Amino acid sequence: MADLLSTSVSGLIAFQNALSVTSNNVANVSTPGYSVETPDFTAEPGESTGVGYFGTGVQISNVTRSYSELLATQMRTSQSSYSNFNTYATTAAQVDNMLSDTTTGLSAQLQGFSNSLQTLANSPTLAASGTAVLSAAQSLTQSVQGYATQLSSIDQNVEGQITSNVQEINTLASNIATVNGQIAQISGSGQSPNSLLDQRDQLINQLSQYVSVNTATQSDGTLDVFVGNGQSLVTGGTAQTLTTIPNQYNPTQFDVGLTTVGTSGAPVDITGAISGGSLGGLIAVRSQVIDPTLNSLGQISVGIANIVNQQQAAGLTQSGTQGQPLFAVGGVQVSPSSNNTGTAQVTATRTNLSALTGDSYTLADNGGTWQLTDNTSQQTILMGGTGTAIDPFTAAGVSIVVNGTANSGDSYLVEPTATAAAGFSVLLTSPTQIASAAAVQTGAASANTGTGTIAAATVTDPTNANLLTPTSIVFTSPTQYQINGTAYTYTPGAAISSANGWTTSISGTPAAGDTFTVGSNAGNVGDNSNLFAMIDGLNANSLNGGTTSLTGATSSLLSQVGAQTQQAQSNASAQQAVNTSATDAVNNLSGVNLDEEAANMVKYQQAYQACAQMIQASTTMFNTLITALQTA
Amino acid sequence: MRVSTLGFQTDASNQMQSLEAEITQTQTELSTGIALQNAADNPAAMAQVTQLNAQISASKQYQTNGSALNSNLQIEEQSLSDATTTMQSARDLAVEANNAALTPSQRQDISTQLQQLLQQMVSTANSTDSNGNFLFSGETNTTQPFSQTGSSVAYNGSTSVSQVQISSNQRISSGDSGANVFMNIPGGNGTFTTAVGAANTGTATIDTGTVTNASQWVPDTYTITFTDATDYTVTNSAGPVTSGTYTSPGTITFNGISTTVTGTPAAGDTFTVAPAGTSSAFSTISNLITALNNPNLSSAQLTSQVGTTLEQMDAAVSNFSNVSASVGARINAITASGTTATASQTAMTGQVTSLQDVDYAAATTQLSTQELALQAAQESYASIAKMSLFSYLQ
Repeated sequence: MADLLSTSVSGLIAFQNALSVTSNNVANVSTPGYSVETPDFTAEPGESTGVGYFGTGVQISNVTRSYSELLATQMRTSQSSYSNFNTYATTAAQVDNMLSDTTTGLSAQLQGFSNSLQTLANSPTLAASGTAVLSAAQSLTQSVQGYATQLSSIDQNVEGQITSNVQEINTLASNIATVNGQIAQISGSGQSPNSLLDQRDQLINQLSQYVSVNTATQSDGTLDVFVGNGQSLVTGGTAQTLTTIPNQYNPTQFDVGLTTVGTSGAPVDITGAISGGSLGGLIAVRSQVIDPTLNSLGQISVGIANIVNQQQAAGLTQSGTQGQPLFAVGGVQVSPSSNNTGTAQVTATRTNLSALTGDSYTLADNGGTWQLTDNTSQQTILMGGTGTAIDPFTAAGVSIVVNGTANSGDSYLVEPTATAAAGFSVLLTSPTQIASAAAVQTGAASANTGTGTIAAATVTDPTNANLLTPTSIVFTSPTQYQINGTAYTYTPGAAISSANGWTTSISGTPAAGDTFTVGSNAGNVGDNSNLFAMIDGLNANSLNGGTTSLTGATSSLLSQVGAQTQQAQSNASAQQAVNTSATDAVNNLSGVNLDEEAANMVKYQQAYQACAQMIQASTTMFNTLITALQTA
Repeated sequence: MRVSTLGFQTDASNQMQSLEAEITQTQTELSTGIALQNAADNPAAMAQVTQLNAQISASKQYQTNGSALNSNLQIEEQSLSDATTTMQSARDLAVEANNAALTPSQRQDISTQLQQLLQQMVSTANSTDSNGNFLFSGETNTTQPFSQTGSSVAYNGSTSVSQVQISSNQRISSGDSGANVFMNIPGGNGTFTTAVGAANTGTATIDTGTVTNASQWVPDTYTITFTDATDYTVTNSAGPVTSGTYTSPGTITFNGISTTVTGTPAAGDTFTVAPAGTSSAFSTISNLITALNNPNLSSAQLTSQVGTTLEQMDAAVSNFSNVSASVGARINAITASGTTATASQTAMTGQVTSLQDVDYAAATTQLSTQELALQAAQESYASIAKMSLFSYLQ
């Protein structure tokens, strides 16, 4: 029956409920992810009477939550991007910071070593200068090893973060699945479970920090969640589990794997499908900044060691013996895949400094044929040779030997310079071991009557057993000379190569009978020409096909890491601005405004009071009626 | 447009934090004086700064090299000056010796003084540098270059000399080999000597000659024979070379050299042109000593010996002077490259400063702007955050 009392009571109840919605909003003003709720007032159906339709009051049909899927998606996207760049920038900045010392950095150390060689060249017999060379070398190697150690610990940090990110994602995924289940149960009733929806949205927002997220709403109210490049994470009430799996070549590096629910097989590697968020940033910074920096440091170390050691062998120490290697440097790292089924053993050595790059390579058995791929460009690299010990594969400055049998599908990671920096150290201990003098000296006999002059000898093969054997070049006429009985025609200035591992040249006009000698330079303790050869070698364009010098490579490593960090930082900054404005948009739609709630509270209070007054009026009318009947 | 309470507060808080971060960055720059902290701040500038620093360091090293060499070259110059003085004293004695009226004891006297000068010369030739290494021993600078046995002096050092780098593109010799300074002093004019035939009867003399085209010179002994007072032929070991007519003074040229004969030759007079030999500064003196000590030496032979000795002594002094000039040139080169290095270091340091240092005026202004912004943000937040409708409702 449509009457004053029940209509008013319906109002009281409705406004009381509305006030409780308001108080809920006020209580949750600071709750993250809370969407402001609005009561939907619906008029009760009217009753038909003889004199017209009379309404029967009001009820709250639903409590609506202010929410926009579009705005939420925009916020999550920008959150993922920002998180991605920020994580990348933070880690890259650690590497950048490590390299960016202008006074004691790698460039300064390299120059210091070169300077110490110059000082020794001023007086090669001075022991103090020789000691200074060794200590400059120590300083250089310790600096490089220090970088390698720091990079290793930055990498370990990254692996740790990857592990904890994956754990977080799993926790969030399983929570989302649980909430999905709860929502599915309630959705059937037509009411919207606002707090559960808020909870689920908040979980997905948190997930977007770790990895980029896409969602798809299902008919039963559940939300399917996809991460990265479309990898399914949550389907209805079921969540997949991500795991960290050791990289097939390097067990200390983690890849991301997926264990499908219900299967018992090994996790599937989905690292390639992970993008966006902090997890994507960590994976990217590892392969784009940390590994290439270690490789470049290694390439520079190999350059220094090779140049100096070769020149040591081409010279003589103060005691007249050929020099021993001054530097040790780490070798080529070959790592078999953990998936290999064959029994092949692969080893590799560096053979050509100029052909080395800063890349890593994968050597794979492709149906019986070995193929080498550059991991950065994914290009196939042509190899010379057949892979045996006497005819190794040659490519990219290394030669590779394969022993044993591999099965098709077996693969090996070949890293020519990755471990070089960590193994960069000084081998010599005494200044007398520095080969300051040239190994071979040339001279003209004092009885010569012609005007021929002989140039200094250059060592072409320091390992030649007869390098220091004396040789005479005797001119039988102004146009012919003999070495060990073999006659040659004389061309002024032309190179004269010897089977003993040196070359020289003669210019001018020798006379018949003139003799020139080439022999050991032992005893010439004041000779510093080998030191200058070492200095010139260090300054030459020895890397990257003769285009880059050691200082050039150092400089470009620094600016490369700097540029990557700068780019990530500016991208992060831009995305942060986008994220701030997207978050603002979401908050402005879904956030609680206390002033608004205060106004609502006043509104509902007044309405409640008005309804109460109506009930009062109804009571008064009833009392009047009863009183009137009593007196009659 | 609706604004959420939580959103407003979060935004305000974030903005204040970012302002504080900027202030911290500016403060770091001001206190370290370096605007370029990391390569990420400006990768290209950072690469330039490291390269410039390396170049500055190298330049300083070259200056060090140069000044170390400079002190050794100064010592060498002094030694050459001492050698010249010694040789000139010996020359004076040689002139004195050229007197037929000297008694044997007077000759002995001169010989003794010459002996002392010889020892002095050997001692000068064995002088050492500031590190105790021998100046004139070439690359074997720990081996004493000259050893004297009786009246002969041998050279035990090396003929090659090491180099020192005094600038990025200059390496200069660190010294001179004793062989070049004291031992292999060229006689005559450096290429050939001329001599009057011992049996000549005419009155003609021949000068020391000059080289007109060094590439045409064929080292050999040439004999200029005058068939009569106006005709001559030139022959060497291979046969006739040229011939010609002569009037006094007459220049005779062949095989890239020319020499002048003056006077009246008789028929059959010969003049020889032979390749210049070398003499050592020591043998020059010791040969004269030997001659003076020979009691059977005739005065004519003594005159001839003194003539040769004087010629050789002049050649020695001339050689010392040449070497000294080259030492002087090297000292000048070191001074010049040192000056250039200082100037370029200043320029490079200036570049580094401009790339990496803080512009204090700009940074201080920036700091006060940022402080002002933070202050404004804080004050406005404080006053806006207080406003709420609830506080007006009773």
